[in-house]
Amino acid sequence: MKLDRRAFIEILVGAGLGAGAGITFSPLPWKLTDDISIWTQNWPWVPVPEDGRVSHASTICQACPGNCGITVRKVKDRAVKIEGTDGYPVNDGGICPLGAAGLQLLYGPWRVPGPVRRVGKRGAGKWEQISWDQAISEVVSRLSALRNQNKPETVTCLASSDRGTVAQLFARFMTAYGSPNFIGGVSADDTSRIAMSLAQGERASVGFDLENAGFILSFGSGIIEGWGSPVRSIQAYGKWRSHNGNGGPTLVQIEPRMSNTAAKADKWYPVKPGTEAALALGLAHVIIKESLYDTGFVQSASSDFSEWREMVLDRYAPEDVSRTTGVSAKEITKLARSFAKAERPLAVWGRGKGTAPGSLYECMAILSLNALVGNMNQSGGIWVKSDDNDMGWPRIPQDVVAENGLSKARLDGAGTDAYPLAKYRPDALPKVINEKPDVVQALLVHDADPYYTLLDSNEVAKAFEQIPFIVSFSSYFNDTAAHADLILPNHNYLERWEDVPSPASLARPVFGLAKPAISPQFATRYAADTVMTIAKKLGGAVSDAFPWKDYPSLLKQTLGENWGALKKSGYMEQRPERPGRFAFYSKFQEPIELQGSSYVYPLTMIPVELIRLADRTVGNPPFCTKSLEETELKGGDLFVQVNPKTCFDYGLADGKHALLETPKGKAKVLVHASEGIMPGVVGIPKGLGHTGYDDYLAGKGVNANMFLGVVDDPISGLPATWGIRARMVSV
Amino acid sequence: MKEEDLGHRVTQHHGESAQSTTYKFGMVIDLDKCTGCGACMVACMAENNIPFRKDDINDKLVHNYWMRVYKITNGLPFPDNEVCYIPRPCMHCEGSGHHHNTPCLSVCPATVVDYDPETGIVSQIYTRCFGCRYCMAACPYHVRVFNWWDPKWPEGMEKYLSPDVSPRMRGVVEKCSFCYHRFQRAKDKAYAEERAELREEEYQTACTQACPAGAITFGDLQNPEHEVYSLKKSPNAFRLLEHLGTNPKVYYTSSRSWVQKAADVYMGSQGKGVTHP
Amino acid sequence: MSTPNEKDQVTAGGEQERVSNWRFLIPVIAFGVSFVIFLGIGWIAFPKFLYSEKEQPLDFNHQLHVDEMGDCEACHYFRDDGSYAGIPTIDNCIMCHEFPMGEDPEELKLVDEYITPGKEIPWLVYSRQPDCVFFSHAAHVRMAGMDCMTCHGSIGESEHSKPYQYNILTGYSRDIWGHSIAGFKKNPWDSMKMDDCAECHEENGVSQGCFVCHK
Repeated sequence: MKLDRRAFIEILVGAGLGAGAGITFSPLPWKLTDDISIWTQNWPWVPVPEDGRVSHASTICQACPGNCGITVRKVKDRAVKIEGTDGYPVNDGGICPLGAAGLQLLYGPWRVPGPVRRVGKRGAGKWEQISWDQAISEVVSRLSALRNQNKPETVTCLASSDRGTVAQLFARFMTAYGSPNFIGGVSADDTSRIAMSLAQGERASVGFDLENAGFILSFGSGIIEGWGSPVRSIQAYGKWRSHNGNGGPTLVQIEPRMSNTAAKADKWYPVKPGTEAALALGLAHVIIKESLYDTGFVQSASSDFSEWREMVLDRYAPEDVSRTTGVSAKEITKLARSFAKAERPLAVWGRGKGTAPGSLYECMAILSLNALVGNMNQSGGIWVKSDDNDMGWPRIPQDVVAENGLSKARLDGAGTDAYPLAKYRPDALPKVINEKPDVVQALLVHDADPYYTLLDSNEVAKAFEQIPFIVSFSSYFNDTAAHADLILPNHNYLERWEDVPSPASLARPVFGLAKPAISPQFATRYAADTVMTIAKKLGGAVSDAFPWKDYPSLLKQTLGENWGALKKSGYMEQRPERPGRFAFYSKFQEPIELQGSSYVYPLTMIPVELIRLADRTVGNPPFCTKSLEETELKGGDLFVQVNPKTCFDYGLADGKHALLETPKGKAKVLVHASEGIMPGVVGIPKGLGHTGYDDYLAGKGVNANMFLGVVDDPISGLPATWGIRARMVSV
Repeated sequence: MKEEDLGHRVTQHHGESAQSTTYKFGMVIDLDKCTGCGACMVACMAENNIPFRKDDINDKLVHNYWMRVYKITNGLPFPDNEVCYIPRPCMHCEGSGHHHNTPCLSVCPATVVDYDPETGIVSQIYTRCFGCRYCMAACPYHVRVFNWWDPKWPEGMEKYLSPDVSPRMRGVVEKCSFCYHRFQRAKDKAYAEERAELREEEYQTACTQACPAGAITFGDLQNPEHEVYSLKKSPNAFRLLEHLGTNPKVYYTSSRSWVQKAADVYMGSQGKGVTHP
Repeated sequence: MSTPNEKDQVTAGGEQERVSNWRFLIPVIAFGVSFVIFLGIGWIAFPKFLYSEKEQPLDFNHQLHVDEMGDCEACHYFRDDGSYAGIPTIDNCIMCHEFPMGEDPEELKLVDEYITPGKEIPWLVYSRQPDCVFFSHAAHVRMAGMDCMTCHGSIGESEHSKPYQYNILTGYSRDIWGHSIAGFKKNPWDSMKMDDCAECHEENGVSQGCFVCHK
């Protein structure tokens, strides 16, 4: 039997059909289809988060100075969500976008994984991991060398604040070491502290009782966009709006730009930028003239009223103020009357988020309104609180080297005859360094990002180049850390015990205790422990200044009898305890000048602070950057806000690039033509233009601080920069 | 279109399972209180394992947002310009009639979308979706987003992913779920305590919980004891694109008439609305 | 193209008929043989090669532990928030086995390789479902009063850990589709696919909403 071609084909076909039928009548195709569909639904590169026991850990958010109580939801030992703690006196369950994105700060690749030393040039982003012992001995050898040369004053320490045990420990270290140059951060709160010191002889912080106020007159404060303690302020606003559109407190916003607060205010007065003080005093003029003020308070609890009264009546008549500010005399009079006659009026101070110290004169003017209506230490008014920072630690021993160093003048000039009222002047430092490059031989940076946040970024960058040794204690590769030589990373705020002093803007202070919600994820250490170890290794009197075993035991000891209660509840409500006394400031001041010639720079540029854009010590996490509008960030470019008339006048096109230039710097930006800003004024959001962190944030936009210069307030000595002259041209 | 107010219904089922209550979960968002802070957006992203990108991180064309805050203006020049922020989750449209002609549900060829009559929630099952995006075309609120790329979390960040929400692969459409995983967890807790009914505070969405101004209220629209029940009856309450008949479950209240007008598109004799991006 | 045999042509008639009958059978036999072979492939070879096998990290004796501890809930319990602990963590084992209690080599392995270094045992879970599935033990055990065996079979009575047979394509245990490749099931625990859940839900009048079981 021969198998011919035809048979061959027949066999093939038959076998093929048989195969098909066999397979079809078997489970194979059906099962395979099911399996393939399961297979395609479960690609191995899509993460499958592991399940486990759910637990909650409460602590305090320290991503901004607002210090909300937060609860971290964990699955096994992974933190998966941050939520506001219900019932916490600052935020009662609410949270802001930055706090909610906190886990991106905890787990992100911008965490410094352990002590690292720079490889290659500064800012190159190359690091080698070293051991803690190595890192600490490097710092010790540098610092002891400077001591041996009898130049301890050439060490400077920058911190974002001087409050709390950790900052105070750094300050203590500097004193024991022999340097007067511990420089804390400054903000609008410091300006009001200085204002109060004029009245009370010592600094006292000012809180604003937003929740109970009946008429809120805000001079550019971003009450719903990050002012004070952001969530608390927004909650107060929510409370004001709980009346279904009828009744409830009145919010009046005075601002050149329609910020969110201005947009949600009952009335918005667009004033010419920089004239807020004049407007405040214009209102005071009407209140005094029409005798609408609280004479009882003024007589019994204030000083210098008559001199101030004379100055105000003389110089701030509504007609004059109207010319300066652009608000009509009629409106000024009406507003003054509404404010003074309202139930529980409150004037709020602190431009934007309250980050910039601002003009002391303006601060005094606004606080005077509060004094005039007698709301100090009253429900719905301002509350004066103790600024006591005393830890109760033993006296700091000082050896000869230390005494010598401490006798030298502070580099930032704070507290000197030139600037007697200022405690710290960090923005003055870069210029000092650039004029005399040897004055800073070593820079220690704790919980701050001066490379990014100090004004006049080009000057700052130059100053950094002059400093031979920079150590950062940052948990993240922020801009400053990226330009440091050594990073000795602190635990992230979710990983540590720390005392959290009350945000100044609260009427009733809340002292908090942050506790670790999660164990340290990297080889980090308490910055306080690192400092104490360095001190101990330096030996002698420096070592003697730190008789404690470690930071947690130091913290427990410092908190004393309150430790138990604090550990349990996480916070303690305190009583504000300073008298409601006020001193009127009667020396007339011209408005703070803008740098730049108006001929060359016809526009006025003002910084804009957005709640979705972190612009202080911590950089914007990806979730927050993602939430920015397309009229704020597009691609990698930042939008600046310009009125359409101004666009027309200067040939700028909406959505197109332009070159923004001020006397301090220039960069390419995108134009957002907005009816929400005055003609002639350019608004630039703060918070972008980072060089640190990584591609999720770095290289996007420009740093607003590079356009701004340092304008010293003539009274406080703090930077009163509120803007600068600018010009723009299409590119 | 008259809205059916079914009241609070309790249905008895056969078999061993206990009686179960029907809910109609919805939201009322107070636009007077909303400050546009974006905490709801970020809380939603954190809760639901939302991915993010390096480039075009906030590009709204390829965006991935479940809750999104829109900004509208009244279009007038400075200084009469006004803005309003509108947080927009998924509307969980009920449609009308017995078969719930929810727009996205009616067009899905893969049975990915389901309307649950017991809770009123429109759910999305990612594994079934093959990415035709017909539902995105059908949704009048632009609520649905498409995963153009596989999600990639930077090194270490995968640790914060929640096991309650399944991370999606590329090629799949997703949308706000009214955090129904929280409903599941709340039910678990209730069952552990041998009850089937949920209390108002036991099931709240992440955005509602986060909102610092208290602008968002979430609950059972049918239950007179829930806050949303009375809030939705406010004279200032309105829904977006009401005339389309989607019967959405998200109500908004605003005391400003231009905002109310902006919520819908009027044609011809109905008067001119004001809508500005 | 075949050239007919000379012999066949000559004889014609009967022989030609025999040739055509025989020819007809070629495809038929081919079909039949192939059919049987591929049926065999589909029914026997396919399941053999589709599944791969792994041993559990330890050979666990359920019966012994049930005798000691009482019932399933001793190790597989509900947490306070109603979630289910599932497979116990090493903390559970440490409660008794911190030091070896007997001579069994598996127990020594437990202590040496897992308890002492503090490592979790990488159990291979037979009932593991894909990530899209949300299963509430509280709903089924507490509310519906179901017992463990209905879905998990008689694993509680086993004295040895059965090997973990898994689908090489999907990675999931053979227990999910069921040991019967055709999907025939006798007992409720023979198969645990979506259809099985849906069937039981329908019979008992429980919600068929998608998100009730999916996340």
